Amino acid sequence: MTQVTGYIGRSVKRKEDARLLRGEGRYLDDLNHLKPKQVAFWRSPYAHARIKAVRTAEARELPGVIAVFTGEDFAPVKPLVTEIQLEGYVAKPQDPVARDKASHAGEIVAVVVAEDRYIAEDALELIEVDFEPLPAVVDVDAALAEGSSLVHTEVPGNIYYRGRRVFGEVEAAFAKAELVFRETFRTSRIAGTPLEARGCLAEYDPYQDVLTVWSSTQIPSILHLKLAEIFGMHENGIRIIAPDMGGGFGIKAQIYPEEIIIPFLARALRLPVKWVQDRREDLLTGVHARDHRYELEAAVTREGVLTALRLRMLTDAGAFSSFPFGCTLEATGGARMILGPYKIRNYEYDTIAVATNKAPAGAYRGVAQPSCFFAIEGLMDIIAGKLGLDPAEIRRRNMLSSAELPYTNPIGIHFDSGSYGESLEKALQSARYAEVRGEQSRIPADAGRQIGIGLACYTEISGISSKGYQSRGVADVPGYDSVRMRMDPSGTVAIYTTLTSQGQGHWTTFAQIAATELGIEPDQVRVVDGDTGLAPLGTGTFASRASITGGGAVFRAAREIKRILLRVAGGMLDDLPPEELELGEGFVRARGRKLKVTLREAARKAYEIRSGGSETREIPGLEVIAYYDPPPSNWSNAVHLAVVELNLVTGFPRFLDYVVVSDCGNLINPMIVDGQIQGGAAQGIGEALLEALEYDPGGQLLTASWGDYLIPTALDVPEMKIEHITTPCPSTEGGVKGMGEGGAIGALPAVVNAVNDALRRSRCWTGVPITRAPVKPEDILRRVGAVGAEGGDGR
Amino acid sequence: MSTRTITLTVNDQTLTREVPVRKTLADFLREDLGLTGTHVGCELGQCGACTVLLNGDPVKSCLLFAVQAEGSQIVTVEGLAGKDALHPLQQAFHDHHALQCGFCTPGMLLAAVDLLSRNPAPKADEIRRHLSGNLCRCTGYVNIVKAIEAVGAGAAGTDTVSTGAVGAGNIQK
Amino acid sequence: MKSAPFEYLVPASLAEALETLAGHQDETKVLAGGQSLVPLLKLRLARPRYLLDINRVPELSYLELKDGRLHLGALTRHSALGREPSARGSCPLLAEAAARIGHTAIRNRGTVGGSLCHADPAAELPAAMIALGAELKIDGPGGTRLVPAAGFFQGFMTVDLQPDEILAGLSVPVAGPGTGWSYLEVSRRHGDFAIAGVAVWLSLDDKGLFRQVGIALAGVDDRPWKARACEDFLVGKEAKEEVIAAAREQLAGFDPTGDIHASREYRELMAGELFVQALRQAVERAANNL
Repeated sequence: MTQVTGYIGRSVKRKEDARLLRGEGRYLDDLNHLKPKQVAFWRSPYAHARIKAVRTAEARELPGVIAVFTGEDFAPVKPLVTEIQLEGYVAKPQDPVARDKASHAGEIVAVVVAEDRYIAEDALELIEVDFEPLPAVVDVDAALAEGSSLVHTEVPGNIYYRGRRVFGEVEAAFAKAELVFRETFRTSRIAGTPLEARGCLAEYDPYQDVLTVWSSTQIPSILHLKLAEIFGMHENGIRIIAPDMGGGFGIKAQIYPEEIIIPFLARALRLPVKWVQDRREDLLTGVHARDHRYELEAAVTREGVLTALRLRMLTDAGAFSSFPFGCTLEATGGARMILGPYKIRNYEYDTIAVATNKAPAGAYRGVAQPSCFFAIEGLMDIIAGKLGLDPAEIRRRNMLSSAELPYTNPIGIHFDSGSYGESLEKALQSARYAEVRGEQSRIPADAGRQIGIGLACYTEISGISSKGYQSRGVADVPGYDSVRMRMDPSGTVAIYTTLTSQGQGHWTTFAQIAATELGIEPDQVRVVDGDTGLAPLGTGTFASRASITGGGAVFRAAREIKRILLRVAGGMLDDLPPEELELGEGFVRARGRKLKVTLREAARKAYEIRSGGSETREIPGLEVIAYYDPPPSNWSNAVHLAVVELNLVTGFPRFLDYVVVSDCGNLINPMIVDGQIQGGAAQGIGEALLEALEYDPGGQLLTASWGDYLIPTALDVPEMKIEHITTPCPSTEGGVKGMGEGGAIGALPAVVNAVNDALRRSRCWTGVPITRAPVKPEDILRRVGAVGAEGGDGR
Repeated sequence: MSTRTITLTVNDQTLTREVPVRKTLADFLREDLGLTGTHVGCELGQCGACTVLLNGDPVKSCLLFAVQAEGSQIVTVEGLAGKDALHPLQQAFHDHHALQCGFCTPGMLLAAVDLLSRNPAPKADEIRRHLSGNLCRCTGYVNIVKAIEAVGAGAAGTDTVSTGAVGAGNIQK
Repeated sequence: MKSAPFEYLVPASLAEALETLAGHQDETKVLAGGQSLVPLLKLRLARPRYLLDINRVPELSYLELKDGRLHLGALTRHSALGREPSARGSCPLLAEAAARIGHTAIRNRGTVGGSLCHADPAAELPAAMIALGAELKIDGPGGTRLVPAAGFFQGFMTVDLQPDEILAGLSVPVAGPGTGWSYLEVSRRHGDFAIAGVAVWLSLDDKGLFRQVGIALAGVDDRPWKARACEDFLVGKEAKEEVIAAAREQLAGFDPTGDIHASREYRELMAGELFVQALRQAVERAANNL
């Protein structure tokens, strides 16, 4: 049951909707008040090539062109260095505009500034670049092979990062293992590709020496600090504003070359300058994700209990270690999260982030969790299949029970609360598991259709703290978040934060928290987000953190305002001490007495320097800043259960049911939480069945439009049944846990497991499970022998 | 640069403008008229974010040149409801949490207006089919379908969903 | 992603359009619905000097039943094929095939003539027109010539149309007693180009024998592919399951290309499966129609 306290726990309708529905949102491309000049980029057609000469004279002559820049012009700009303080990591500085060579197709080689984008693109056609093509490395095996061409001479062996750790007695456990299973799981390179691509607008005011940058970024504070460093400016001379954003999903939580180039141009030209990314640029250069391989080896008892796990993990980091999380993000993420809700005590990993001549990889919803749970949950089903166990049963045998919490796993991850078994049982019940198993068994093995059930049980890291980022060696991510909160003399509240909203609805959820703490209505709370000029610095909105970190800061700020208010009101109510007062419905009341003042009167009093306000308080006003650095452990858990029907003639799967049971502690707004789950699951379904960035052997992206990079349409996503278990987090403000990524984590393993479960029922099943995503119709037919094994892609 | 003078009606307001012939209708609406509610998601007709009604029918405004709209009636999201009001579909999207980032929403709304004008009470599968050219990356479509179903159910037998423009939006002079 | 500059020409009659075309020849691209051409312009893969917008040529917009055939102007929008009662009723194969083209907004702009001239080998209407035995009406400086659809498609996105000619319209047969039809396709998502598609237009005689059969496949060759051997095999035979199965054995000679969405082998397999399913459905409809 959802816990309701005031407005917390209620499905309050969103404050941000009306303007978005009327077409009055202000997304980056809508910001034309400065009449900015427009930028287009000349991007490398080669995956790997030395740049011999860049000729721009003709482009400069074109009427309407203001300026053309090349790599040399950016020499004064400090290159971007992603600092990761982990052993085994190699840093490679990245210039915003390539100078000596291009390292992936799409890397920027020249920049045109023109009166409008049409002219800017005309000018691109007049630029000539002499290249000397170099061998392109486009897959991890080739990159690691002896004598491979190097993506960067500074990255020996094309290994950006390698981490090896052993926890517990792995060797001993394998030595006495009753059974050993080995399996390799692969996920495709994919893209978050939000509906609104990225963009950047900058204006420099030489009078005040202030650079204002509007960027579609999830991390305005981090961009703020980095630009100051790169340009050698004082932080107080920079203001970053993240306007409305059309989705982010982590893709906008990196600093990209364009976010350095556009402000540089605005300063250099003393003109407002804007760039809006087109879809081709987004797919070509927006961080990619999850080009992962998991080679798993498990020691297992005959009862199906995993006693030890070995992982060799390869991630394709692309050409650069993206800022700020670095290429270690996925490599360490997958290796650290894979144990999930299971009590495997002996574990060893060897994880490598490999440099290739592809676009850099980075953060995308769930990071490596969708892929690592794809691997471990896939392995669970394979073991269950071999041992004749039901997939639910093998999970029960390995799963942590609530009685075993708190629990610290061998890596050192601390689970303080959760409902792993309860969530599984609830999902089974909700899906009528036994009944569907019965239906499934009644379909003849030689039928042209089969039904399959797929389970995915997982934990989700959320709200990573400063300690959390320090332990991952991520130097440029602070980990705390903050708000400035002001109650006006009228008793209404404004919240200023650098946290952004890409659709999460923080205007509403933060207002719900503040309204609840202060006894006012959410309508009386205004949230101003994403602006470093108005709010204290923090971290940003990504990795399931804003409800914990931003929410936590709102809780704290509101309590501080409440404390001041009660002191002030006490002065107005017979000098009653705060503990004898209460706040609610717009009043401060004396407990058990009829005395009261309106909140408005008390607020006004707090601003009066010469009256009661100053007598009870040294500083007038009701304005506070609160920071919140969350506790080190915040883990949600959930179960996805997919039921699919396979058409074994065409290979197409169809959803019959989709169930999610989620436990993210106390819910602030259940409607918004469910929306996050639905949207995340849709992305996971895309990852399971449709989405793949494909490169040719020369490093050319073959999927540079939404005609070839297939994201789910309304016909590809099923209805979902969503249920909640509420196990409040004992250590966060409000008992909340983050959950923004969860939907995307569970869907990939659940859907592929369902496909495999259905295939197993077919008499024609080849006995080989699908261990690679996305699953195309022909992959399904290949597993029943309808399409030959020599399909050409080695699957 | 080749330009032409065009006269067209946008959200019930007839106007004349000179436009470069290669400028798309989407860019014209956004840049020349300041109607930035029409969003550009892919520029290749693959996402539906830029959907507007052209003489009553939904079209992708990124695949039309503004000059082609000479003499036509255009309705954008700004024209769906009067100032400060919400169209029944907009209200349903709000009530059912059918939008998150809001970027696909204007195109989604116009596609849905078209569907409801042809079929006042569509079923979920018809809604999904009709909207399959409008991509959304946030909602998983679940609540969008619910919102449209709800309007359909509420409007069954009546004719409350208009496809004509009600408000003009703030067209730039 | 913005088009390169071009001159915009908008003729008000077919004569004016042909005259303009004759004057500018190879430097001109004809703009009909624009749903394929405009993306090419924006990617600068097409960069004509002149864009000839034929949308205001009245002679190209018609839809009428005459002399036992359905006559369609080149500017007939895909959506009209399903929406106009006269088109849907008289030639249901076109409505069925058009429903698989892209999405609603695409179908509202895309034109029959544009789809045929663009000649994407995976497109729906070219295959349907071949199955129907459509007759294309082409106007040029030398007058009008009529071309059967099967002869119009000459290679990968190559058609029998001179730079100074315009596809003005076409006619197709209409359904009568014993007519059956089907358009089936497999694509990754609804609205994507076909991995494989099969169009069937046939008629049965009162004894249940195949009287006339038109079959064409999409997505399996460099052009829409007419299953001539299968058609010949079927005519005169009894419309039953064993015959359909035997016809499938005759289905050979097309040459699909594997790509990121489907291997060659899968396209071949789907072509065969859809061939059988489409024939079955067409026969069933024909039998109900007798």
